[in-house]
Amino acid sequence: MNSDILINNLAGLLIITSVMVIGTRKAKSAALLYSLQSFVLVLTFVAIAKSVDATELYHWSITAFITKVIALPALLYYAFSKMSDPQADRPVVHFGWLIPIAGVITVASFLAVESVQLPLVEHLKPALAVSLSHFFLGLLCIVSQRNILKQLFGYCLMENGSSLTLALLANKAPGLVEIGITTDAVFAVLFMVILARQIYFKLNTLDVNQLTSLKG
Amino acid sequence: MSPTEILLLLMVVPFVAAIVSFLAIRGGEGVRKLAIGCHALSMLLIVILAITVAGSVFVDGPIHAFNNWIYLDGLSALFLAVLGVVSFLTGMYSIGYIGHEYEHGELSGTKVALYYGLFNLFIATMILAVTANNVIMMWVAIEATTICSVFLVGLYGQRSSLEAAWKYIIICTVGLAFGLFGSILTYSNAAAVFADPANAIFWTDIHQNAKALDPTLVHISFIFILIGFGTKVGLFPMHAWLPDAHSEAPSPVSALLSAGLLNCALLVILRYYMITVKSIGPDFPQTLMLVFGFMSVAVSAFFIITQHDIKRKLAYHSVENMGLITLAIALGPLGVIAGLMHVINHSLAKTLMFCGAGNILLKYGTRDITVVKGILKVAPMTGILVAIGALALGGVPPFSMFVSEFLMVTAAIGEDMPFFTVALLSLLAVVLGGLAHMVACCVMGDKPAEVEKGELGFMTIAPMVVLVGLIVIMGTLIPTQVLHGIDRAALVLLDSDEPTVLNLLNLPAVSQSTEVLVPNPTLAQK
Repeated sequence: MNSDILINNLAGLLIITSVMVIGTRKAKSAALLYSLQSFVLVLTFVAIAKSVDATELYHWSITAFITKVIALPALLYYAFSKMSDPQADRPVVHFGWLIPIAGVITVASFLAVESVQLPLVEHLKPALAVSLSHFFLGLLCIVSQRNILKQLFGYCLMENGSSLTLALLANKAPGLVEIGITTDAVFAVLFMVILARQIYFKLNTLDVNQLTSLKG
Repeated sequence: MSPTEILLLLMVVPFVAAIVSFLAIRGGEGVRKLAIGCHALSMLLIVILAITVAGSVFVDGPIHAFNNWIYLDGLSALFLAVLGVVSFLTGMYSIGYIGHEYEHGELSGTKVALYYGLFNLFIATMILAVTANNVIMMWVAIEATTICSVFLVGLYGQRSSLEAAWKYIIICTVGLAFGLFGSILTYSNAAAVFADPANAIFWTDIHQNAKALDPTLVHISFIFILIGFGTKVGLFPMHAWLPDAHSEAPSPVSALLSAGLLNCALLVILRYYMITVKSIGPDFPQTLMLVFGFMSVAVSAFFIITQHDIKRKLAYHSVENMGLITLAIALGPLGVIAGLMHVINHSLAKTLMFCGAGNILLKYGTRDITVVKGILKVAPMTGILVAIGALALGGVPPFSMFVSEFLMVTAAIGEDMPFFTVALLSLLAVVLGGLAHMVACCVMGDKPAEVEKGELGFMTIAPMVVLVGLIVIMGTLIPTQVLHGIDRAALVLLDSDEPTVLNLLNLPAVSQSTEVLVPNPTLAQK
C-alpha cells in the first residue's frame, strides 16, 4: 500500500477511536479505548517514520508506546478503580450529537489546512486536518463530560493531536523535544489525578457541577 | 563572574532552595527554620542576580548560553528583572504571612516546608520560561509553572481552594494545549523551510528567518498561541481560572501569580507576536491583540466594581491590566513603551495590594468589603499602605501607573482612534471608581469591636513600604537605568535597528536622560 494512503487512513482511524473515547460511558472502558487510540497513533508514527526514513520518529514511537499506550491509560484505569461517582458519569452531550459535531469539526479542519503550501504535507493534508480536528475533539471531550477524571481524556486527546502534527511536519525533530512534550503531559495528568483524588476524598464527588462555590 | 555564569547561578539557586525545603518536610522545627533561612537567602540572591544579569544585557547586549537553549535579550531581561524584584518582595512577605498562619494553626509544619519548596520551584520555572530560547522548552516551562503552583493555590485544602486549584489546572492545561499546538505549528513550519531544520527549534532562528514561513500556518499558529498563552495571561474570555486561583491562594502566592506568572506568559505571546509581525506584517496580530486586550479591559472593569471580595477584585484588576498591556503593544512605538512600563508598574502595585489584602485577611479573617471596616484604626500602617496601593492601581498621580496609562491613552490618540480612546478612558474611570469604593469601605470607618488593634509584624509591613517607595519613584522620577531597560526592551519588541526608541518619540521628560546611555555600537547593529 502507498505509504501516504496508509498514513491518511490511520489518521482517519484516530478520529473514530477519539469519538469512541468521548462517547463511552464507562470510565474504565474509556481508559482502554484511549490506549487503543494511542496505539493507532504510534502506528501512524511508525508509518510516517518508514515513509520519510526518520530515525528520531522511530525512537519517539517507542517513547509514545510506553507513555501513551501503557503508562497514561494504566494511571487513569487505576484512578478510576479507586474513585467512582456514578452521578458524574452521565455526559452533558448525548452520544447521538457527538457524531455530527465530530463531523463538523473534521470538515472545518480540512478547510483550515486547505491552503497550507508546505511540500512536506502535499499528500498528507487529510492527516494534517485530522491532527487539527483531533485537537478540537479533545476540547469537545472536556466540555461534554461531567466527571472530572474523564475530562482528563480530553487533554490527552488534545496532546495526541499536537503530537501527530509534530510527527507530520517535523518528523526529524530532536528526541529531547518529543520527550519534553510527552514527559510534561504525563506529569500534568499525574498532578491532575492527585488533585482529583484530593477533591474526591474531601468533597466526595467527581462531578464538575458540584464544584460551583466560586462564581462571579 | 561572567553574565552566563550569573544566569546559571540564578537558575540553580531556587532549585537548591526548593530541594532543601522538600527535604525539610519530614524534619522538625529546627530543620524547617533552616529551610526558611535558605528560602530567604534564595530570594535575596535571586533579586541581586536577576538585576545584575539584566543590567549586563541592557549594556552589553544579548546573552546566548547552553548551546543556544537559553537566550536573554533586552525584552526578556526586563521581564527577568521584574520577576526578580517581585520574587524577593513576595518571598520576604511570605516569611511574615506563612509564619503567622503556622503560629495560629492554619498551616501545619509539613505544609510550611511544602510551601517554601513549591514557592522556590515555581520561581525557578518562571525564570526558565523567561530565558528559554527553545520554543518547546518555553512551553514546557510555562506548563511547569502550572504544575508547581497548583498545589500552592490549593494549599489550605478547603473546598473553595481545591475547587480553585482544579479550575486553575484544567483551564490552564487545556489552554496551554492550544499553546503547544501553536508552538508545534511554528516549529514544524520552520523545520520544513529551514536549510538546517535542527535550528528551527530556536526562537532566535525562527525570528530571523520568519519571512520564509508558510503564511497560512503563521496565521493559524498565532491564533493558537494567543488563545493558549492568553489563557495563562488571563485575557478574556479565557480568564475564568484567574479570579478563583488568585482569591483562594495564600496572599503572597496571589501576588506572585499576578505580578510574576502573568508576565511570563505574556512574554511568550510577545515572542510569537514578533515572529508573526515579521512574517505576515503587523495588521493581523495587532488587530487580535487590540481586540483581546480591549475585551479584557471592558469586561473586567465591570467585574471590578461589582465584586465584594477584595482579592477577587484585585484578580479582575489583573485581567484588566494584562488587557491594557496587550492592547498597548498594538498601538505603535509609544504604545510599546507604555505597555512595557506598565508591566513594571502593574507588577509593583499588584504585589503591594495582594500583600495588603493578605494583612487584611489575617487581621479580619475575611476578604468581604462589606465586613472589613476601619483598617486605619485597626492597623494604621497597613491602612495607609493599602489606600496608597488602591489609588496607585486606579491610576492616580503621582503613582507609577498613572504615567503608563497616560502614555497608553496618548498612544491611542496618536494612532487616530478617538472612539477607542474615549471608551478606554471611560473604562479606566470605572476601574478607579471600583478601587476608590474599596478604599472608602475598608480603610475608613469604625473599627469592628471583635478585631484586635495592632500591626502584624515587621515582615508583613516592610515589603509593602519598599513597594510604595518604588511606586512613587516610578511615578515621579523614573531612574535612568530603568528607562534605558525599557528602551532596550522596546527596541527588541519593535525589531528596530535604531539606537533608541525613547529619543525618537521626543518625550520631553526622557529624551535627555536616555541620550547619554545610548548608543552602544554593538546594540545599534542589532
